[in-house]
Amino acid sequence: MMKKALPYLLLAPMMIIMGVLVFYPVIETFSYSLKKWKLTAPGDISFVGLGNYVSVLKSPSFWYSLQNTLFLLAVVVLFTTIISIAVALFLNVESRVSGLMLAAAVLPWALPPYVNGVLWKFIMSSGYGFLNKLLITLHVTDQPVEWLSSRWLLLLAVALVVTWRSIPFMALVCLAGRKALPGSLYEAARIDGGSSFQIFRKITVPLMLPFVGIGITSTSVTAVNVFDEIVALSGMGDLGKNIVVESYLTTFSFLDFGKGSAITYLVMLLAGILGIFYLRSLNREVMYG
Amino acid sequence: MKKVISVVLCLGLTMGMMAGCGAKEENEGSRQITFMIPDWGVPNDELLAEFTEETGIDVVINEVSWDDIRDKIAIAASGGSSAADVVEVDWSWVGEFYAADWLEEIELPEEEKADMPTLDTFTVEGKTLAVPYANDYRLSYYNTVQYKEAGIQSPPKTWDEVYENAKILKEAKVVDYPFAIPLNAEEAATTSLIWLAYTMNGVVFNGDGTLNRDSVLAALNYEEKMLQEELIDPSDKTSSGMDAYRRLLSGDAGFMTGPTSFAARSSNSEECSVVGQIEPILVPGKIGNSEHTMALPEAIGITKFSKNKEDAETFVKWYTSPKMQKELYKTNSAIPTHNTVLEELISDGTITDSGAMLEEAKRISSPFPNGVPSYYSEMSNAIYNAVNKMALGELTSEEAFAEMDGKITELAGK
Repeated sequence: MMKKALPYLLLAPMMIIMGVLVFYPVIETFSYSLKKWKLTAPGDISFVGLGNYVSVLKSPSFWYSLQNTLFLLAVVVLFTTIISIAVALFLNVESRVSGLMLAAAVLPWALPPYVNGVLWKFIMSSGYGFLNKLLITLHVTDQPVEWLSSRWLLLLAVALVVTWRSIPFMALVCLAGRKALPGSLYEAARIDGGSSFQIFRKITVPLMLPFVGIGITSTSVTAVNVFDEIVALSGMGDLGKNIVVESYLTTFSFLDFGKGSAITYLVMLLAGILGIFYLRSLNREVMYG
Repeated sequence: MKKVISVVLCLGLTMGMMAGCGAKEENEGSRQITFMIPDWGVPNDELLAEFTEETGIDVVINEVSWDDIRDKIAIAASGGSSAADVVEVDWSWVGEFYAADWLEEIELPEEEKADMPTLDTFTVEGKTLAVPYANDYRLSYYNTVQYKEAGIQSPPKTWDEVYENAKILKEAKVVDYPFAIPLNAEEAATTSLIWLAYTMNGVVFNGDGTLNRDSVLAALNYEEKMLQEELIDPSDKTSSGMDAYRRLLSGDAGFMTGPTSFAARSSNSEECSVVGQIEPILVPGKIGNSEHTMALPEAIGITKFSKNKEDAETFVKWYTSPKMQKELYKTNSAIPTHNTVLEELISDGTITDSGAMLEEAKRISSPFPNGVPSYYSEMSNAIYNAVNKMALGELTSEEAFAEMDGKITELAGK
């Protein structure tokens, strides 16, 4: 009896934590999303079915923020993937400063996202920004460049900041993957006369793909859920808002819990689809044969 | 043995979690209230001890950042509980808090009401919902040295003069961007447009809550003209409102209308590099100084779900009393909301370099004819985004007006 109960007992704390902190809010949020529920109108709460979802999907503001989200997703994933693989391969080279380089590479990961955003705001601000001071000192430009005042430049700035924060994790995953590759494969390839580029293309890239897949999926979820960097760089304005900022504004600024919950569910759906890829990457088998 | 230890640890953890979820009634029988306030409003220990001695009520301070207080009040109230007995109430939250019925009415003597013009902002349908403790109304400032250098003899009294002076300052190369105003997509851009329209034309909203087209469009045209003629620093479009205001303190702007606190800031050499050059003056208007100014005060109120309403009211009245206002100016630099206290502090020299501060305080009135609306957040979002788009050149002033007007008309249910 005790033997049968033991696994459940051991799982109980985690199940309770997951139940209270994950499953209950997920179910409750879904029930909110089916209601007309604005906190400033406590006497006007009613069941509206999918009405909030229809209203959100008809709103130009939602589609605008979705466009911004997809732009961030594409740029962050592209930049993070390329730079992370390069960083991982660089860190894989054994040297006396390898440990130091690894610690330095991980540093941006340790920064809280909002602090990261504020730090970059000091760099990119058109008035007092370090980047403009540098460009003016080097006579590249006479007037400060307004990095944060056009939609695409702002989004590019946000994407770069998020990329900077995302690289360490993906680089570590790729580095772990690279280190896991058996040295015998490389030895055999060299004996067979393979060039460095051929070895990279035929051995390193295909065998590292599952790890890159994990990194890409995790980075994608990060890119969809960007919030702090946007708020730090441009506030809650329309220009750079993504769907997470849209959800926050609707729920906590406008106190519309019904519509805000519907947007939250749509964000969750998008992140969930990316999460499925993540799980599939985790379960992918690596064949060395 | 390992299994036994594992089971004991798991059970311990589970029990611990359950115990953590349980509520506990503390200090049964004793009189205690909780007070949620940002750091700048926290009274010091001596003052609190005095209050406890006088009344027998203990005050537990819950210091929370200003941004988070509204969320905490809303979330607690939606669950039928109070975030604290007494809470910070910003002027812009009043409409929605009233609509949601989250604040308890507070009774105040008539003479006290008459002495606090900012109380109007916290009064809806004759009910006082919160009592202001820190004043902040719009006051204008100009750099006397820059004006003299450009050959301008007197401070501006009208907005047209502000514009003409800005052109002279720029042409004389005294300062590159003479006029400072927040234009970033944030609350300060909303309030700037509201006070500009209000001081320029005396009206912002129609009786039905919609925007007054002539007045607001004139204010937008004014901002657009200043931008097009490069009289405003381009960084004001993306930096915070405080950064825009601070350009006056660094000598990078010659004129600004902004928070009352800048009277003191402009005398502080740690904050201001042009100490002695800034003078607070009356806010300009259309044909002379404006007869109105807008206040953005902060108040404290009692939450509807408080279980200690009587003690909470005793505390609110003590905290906002004239005696405490004097103390709070000394300890927290909070500008008094009682005009008599403000007058006393200026006349006894406690507040220095006040310029037109007292005279302007007497001109405080609300630009919202029906009180701050319950949809203020959405309205403000529509206004600051349209202003910012205009500043960034994406919209003309007409288009910016049309964008904000459409949203506000919808919110007002018209």
